[in-house]
Amino acid sequence: MRDVLRIALPLTVWLGAFSAVYGLEGLVCSERWTAAGLDRATGRLALVGAWAAAVALQAVLLIGLRSPRFASPSGFVRCVSLTLAGVALLATAWTLLPVATSTLCL
Amino acid sequence: MNALRRHRALTRIWASEPGWRGWFTTVNHTDLGRMFMLAAVVFFLIGGILAMLIRAQLATPRSAFMGPDVYNQVFTMHGTIMMFLFAIPLFEGIAVYLLPKLLGARDLAFPRLTAYGFWCYAFGGSLLLVSLFLGVAPDGGWFMYPPLTSRASSPGINTDFWLLGITFVEISAICAAVEITVTVLRYRAPGMSLSRMPIFAWYALVTAVMILTGFPPLILGSILLELERAFDMPFFVTARGGDSLLWQHLFWLFGHPEVYIIFLPAAGVISTILPVMARTTLLGYGWVVAAAVALGVLGFGLWVHHMFATGIPHMALAFFSAASTLVAVPTAVQVFAWIGTLWKGSPTLTLPMLWILAFFATFVIGGLTGVMVAVVPFDWQVHDTHFVVAHLHYVLVGGFVFPMLAALYYWMPHVTGRKRFFRLGETAFWLIAGGFHVTFLAVHWAGLLGQRRRIHTYDEGQGWEVINLIASIGGFATAIGFALVIVDVVANAAMAVRGSRDPWRAGTLEWAMPTPPPAYNFASLPQVASRDPLHDEPELPARLARGEGYLGDPSRNRRETLVVEVASGEPAQIVVFPANTALPILMAFVTGGIFLGMLLKLYWLVPVAVLGVAALVARWAWSLGSTREEGPQDVGRGLALPLAAEAADPPGWWGTRFLLLANVTLFGSLLFGYAFLWTVAPGWPPAAYLQPGLAGPALLLAGIPLSVGGIRMTDRALRRGRGPWIGLVLGVAGAGATGLAATTLLLGTAHDAHAYDATVWVLGGYVLFHATLAGAMTLFLGARIAAGYVTGRRIGEARIVRLWHDYMAAVALLGLGAAWLPGLAM
Amino acid sequence: MHPAGPAAATIATLWWVMLIGASAIFLFVMVLLVLAFRRAPAPQAPAAEQRQERIWIAALGLGFPLAVLSSLLAYGLVVGERLLPRPASDVVTVRAEGRQWAWSFSYADAPGRITGDVLHVPAGRPVDVQITSADVIHSFWVPRLAGKLDAIPGHVNVLRIEAWAPGDYAGVNAEYNGPGYRGHVFTVRAHDEAGWGRFLAGGAP
Repeated sequence: MRDVLRIALPLTVWLGAFSAVYGLEGLVCSERWTAAGLDRATGRLALVGAWAAAVALQAVLLIGLRSPRFASPSGFVRCVSLTLAGVALLATAWTLLPVATSTLCL
Repeated sequence: MNALRRHRALTRIWASEPGWRGWFTTVNHTDLGRMFMLAAVVFFLIGGILAMLIRAQLATPRSAFMGPDVYNQVFTMHGTIMMFLFAIPLFEGIAVYLLPKLLGARDLAFPRLTAYGFWCYAFGGSLLLVSLFLGVAPDGGWFMYPPLTSRASSPGINTDFWLLGITFVEISAICAAVEITVTVLRYRAPGMSLSRMPIFAWYALVTAVMILTGFPPLILGSILLELERAFDMPFFVTARGGDSLLWQHLFWLFGHPEVYIIFLPAAGVISTILPVMARTTLLGYGWVVAAAVALGVLGFGLWVHHMFATGIPHMALAFFSAASTLVAVPTAVQVFAWIGTLWKGSPTLTLPMLWILAFFATFVIGGLTGVMVAVVPFDWQVHDTHFVVAHLHYVLVGGFVFPMLAALYYWMPHVTGRKRFFRLGETAFWLIAGGFHVTFLAVHWAGLLGQRRRIHTYDEGQGWEVINLIASIGGFATAIGFALVIVDVVANAAMAVRGSRDPWRAGTLEWAMPTPPPAYNFASLPQVASRDPLHDEPELPARLARGEGYLGDPSRNRRETLVVEVASGEPAQIVVFPANTALPILMAFVTGGIFLGMLLKLYWLVPVAVLGVAALVARWAWSLGSTREEGPQDVGRGLALPLAAEAADPPGWWGTRFLLLANVTLFGSLLFGYAFLWTVAPGWPPAAYLQPGLAGPALLLAGIPLSVGGIRMTDRALRRGRGPWIGLVLGVAGAGATGLAATTLLLGTAHDAHAYDATVWVLGGYVLFHATLAGAMTLFLGARIAAGYVTGRRIGEARIVRLWHDYMAAVALLGLGAAWLPGLAM
Repeated sequence: MHPAGPAAATIATLWWVMLIGASAIFLFVMVLLVLAFRRAPAPQAPAAEQRQERIWIAALGLGFPLAVLSSLLAYGLVVGERLLPRPASDVVTVRAEGRQWAWSFSYADAPGRITGDVLHVPAGRPVDVQITSADVIHSFWVPRLAGKLDAIPGHVNVLRIEAWAPGDYAGVNAEYNGPGYRGHVFTVRAHDEAGWGRFLAGGAP
C-alpha cells in the first residue's frame, strides 16, 4: 500500500491543488466574494498565494520522496515515484500559471 | 500424479456446470471474459448499424429518410452504446479474460463479483435496447444536458431509460474496477514484483483506479437528475436555486477521464503486442509506467475543456487549456517509446502490426486535433461542429478500436487454440482503415465549413453535399470491413487448423498454458524472475503442467490460488475461491427491480428490491470463510502459507478499501455540487437555512465515538479472546444515533422547495444509508462471531466492518456539518 | 473559414498556423515509423538501451512536445485575451435571448425595441452580445464573425462580435436543443452608420 501511495500521491496532490484553485477562482469572481467585503485585487493575491503554496508543497514532496526516510526500498518504485513527483511539480507550475497572466473574471 | 491426471482432477474442481446451466452459474473468469467480450461486440454491431443510419441520413441534403424525432434517438443511442455498452465492457472483458493469465493466477480476486457485474451489464444494456426497439430511446444527446432532459422539456420515459439503464450498467464497471485493482495488486505469481509485472497489468491498474474515481460523479449526476425528474427536487432548475451547469461539471468530471479510461487499455495492448512483433522488449518500461500513471491523473484535470463555450471566466479556461496541452506530454512519451521500440528491434508486418500502424496514423492525427481544440479560441469556433465529431472518432476509433483489432488477431490463437488459415483479415484491414480515413477526413472538413453536429439534415448550396456523400461512402466501406472481420473470426475459429502453443514467441505467462485455456489456467503456479518468464525458461509450460510450481496438488479438492505482497511479490496467502453459483445472476435480477421500479414509477418495488438485495448480500457473505482453523498449509516447493481467511488483510479488506475510494469520490462530488450551487447558482440564498438545533448535533456527537469506539472494542476483544458483545452493542447504538442525527435533516427541510433543501436531503439520505449499513454490518458480524466464523485469528471480517464504521463517521461529520453550516453562520 | 470580423479572422489565422504545425509533426512521426521498418535492428546492450531512452523518451517524448506546447499555449492564451469583451468607448450592447426554437434581440440604445430572429448591429464597431436563455441551453454562433457562446438559463454570458462591413451574416444555434434544432437560426444584419441611426430611431433601416 505504501508503494502505491508513493506513486499516486504527488499527482493526486496536484489534482487537489488544481481543483482548489479553480474553486477559489470561481469564488473570487462570484458575488459571495464582494459581499464579504473583499475586492478583486485581494482575490488575485489569494490566487497567486495558493499557486505558490501548491508549488512549494510539490517541492517538499519531491525532496521527501528522495530522502532515505520516505523513499521506497524498491529501486523501481523509487524511480517511478520520483519521476511522477517531478511531473507533478511541473504540472502545478504549468497549469496554474494563468493566475499570474490571465484576466481575472472576464 | 502425471500431467493428464492432474489436468482431469483440476478440471473437475474448476469447470463450470455443463450445458446451458453453465452460462448462468459460471464464476470462471475465462467464461465471463468471453461473455463480456461477446456482449460488447453485439452492442458494437448495434451501435455500428445506428452509425450507418446516421451516415445514410446525412449522405444527401434534405433527406426524408428520418425525421428529427427518430434521428435524435439514433445519434443519442449511437454515442451511448459505443461509450457505455461497448468500449468500457470490452475493456472489462479483456481484463477479466487476460489478467489472471498474464499475472500467473487462477482467477480474479472476487469471482462471484465478476459474474454479478456481467449480469448487471447484460440487464442494464438490455433495458436500453428495449427502449430502442419500442421507439422511446433517449433523445437528449449522449451527454444529456438538462434542462433539455428535465421533466419540463422531456416529459417522456426516454430520459429515464438513459439515467437508470446507464447507472445499472455502471455497477458492473465499479465491480470490475474493484476486482481488477485487487487482482493486479495481490493476485500474482510468486516473484512477480511491481517492476516485473507485464505492462498491460499496469495499464489495467491505472484504468481501474480511474473507473473508481471517474464514474461516481456521473452516477451522482444521474441520481440527482432522476430525483429531479421523479420527485421534483430542483438540482438543475434555475428558478429554484439549481443550475444546469452543475450537470455539465458532473458529467465531464466523468466524461473526460472516460476518454483515458478507453485509451489506456488500448495503450496497454500496444505496449504488450508491439515489442513482440518487433522481437524485442519495450523501450523505457519505467517511463511508460510513469506516463500511464501521469496520464491517468492528469486526465482528471481536463473536464472543463468540454465547457469552453459556457461563459466560464477566461482564467479558469486557461487552467484547463494548460492542463489539456500538458496531457499531450505523457502521450508523446508513450508514442515515442513505441517508435523507439520498433527502431530497437526488427519489426515484421503481421496483421496485429498492421493494426498498430493504423493506430499510429489515426491516433496521432486525433491527438493533434485534440491539441487544437484545447486552444480556447479555436474551440469557440469548432465546438459542437462536425470537426469535434471527427476529432473524437479519430481518438476513439484510432485509439481504441484499432488496437482492439490488433488484440483480437494477437490473442485469437489463445482463445481458440487455432491458427489463422483464411486470410480475409488483410482485406478487412484495408477496407476499415481506408474507409475510416475517407469518412472522417471529410467530416473534419464539413465541420470547418460550419456543419453543426446533431442536425438531422441540411440544405443544398452550402457546399456540404459532396463532402457528406464521400463521408457516407467511406462509412459504408468501413462497415463492410467490419462484417469481413466477423466472417474471418468465425471461419477461423470454427474451421482452421490447431495451432502451436506460443505462436508469436511472446514471453508473458498467458502463453504458458494449453490453448484454448483450461478452466484452472495453470496446473501449478510459476515462480517468476523477470518480465518475460517464457524467454528465461522455454520449458516452463511443461514444468507447470507436471506440477512443479506452486499449488500443483489438487488433493485439497477446492479452488485455490496464491496472494502475494504488493511490492515484492513474495507469496503471502492461499485464497480459496467459491464454486459455481446462481447467486450473482439472481442478485443482478433483484438489483434490476430497483431500477425497474424507478423507471415504471412503481415506487413500492424499490424498497422491496433493496431489501431483497440486502438479503442476498448477507447470503453471499455468509457462505465465505469457515468455522475451522486450518493454520499454514503446504503450497508446494517447500513452502507453507496461511489461508486468506486467517490473515489480517484478506482480499475482501482490500476490495472494501477500493470500493470506499469510489464511494468517497461520490461523496466528494456531492459536496462539490453543494459548494458549486452555493457559489454560482443564481437563485440563492433560499428562503430559509436549516437551523441545526440541539438534538441533531447532540446525536451526532454521541453517535460517532460510540460507533468508532465500539467496533474497535470488538476488534480488540476478539484478538484477546474475550467477549466482543459490549463493543458490538455500542457500535450498533452509535450507528443508530448517527442515523437519527441524519434524520433531523430530512425532517427539517422540504425536499422540493429549493436546490438547497434538495441537496440537504441527499446529504441526509446518504448519511442515513451509511448508518443503516454500518449498523446492519455490525449485527451481521455479531451473528458471524456467534456462529464461530470470526475469531481472533480470523479477524478480517471485523476489520472490514471497522472500515465501514470509520467511513460512516467521517461522512456523517462532513455531510451533516456541511448541511448545518449555513444555518449556523446566519 | 471566410472571416468577416476581427475575432473570426484571428481564429482563422490560429487555425492555419496549427494546421501547418500539425501536418509537419504528423509527417515527422510517419517518417520515423517507416524508417523503423527500413533499417537494421539496433545493438541490444544496456548502454545502448540507455542512449535510446535518452533520444526517444527524454528528447522526443518530453522535450519536443513541451517546447511545442508551451509556445502554442502562450499563443492561444494571448489570442483568447485579445478576444475578451473589455470595456471600450464605442461598444454597442445588445441582448440575445434564446428559446425553443427562436431568438429575440433587444438593444441597450433603443429601449423597448425587440426584434425576432434578426439581430441589428452597426458595422465596424465592437458589439457586446449579452446571451441568455428562457428555457433550455442554446448557443449563439455567427461563424463568420466570432466563436460561439452558450445561452444558459439564469446566466448572462457576454460575447464580443464585430463585422467589418455592412451585410447579412448567418447565425445558428450551436447547442443541441431538441427536435427543432436544425431550424433554430437567425441573421445578423450589420448596418452602415446611417442605417444604424435609422434603426435606433425606430425606422426601418
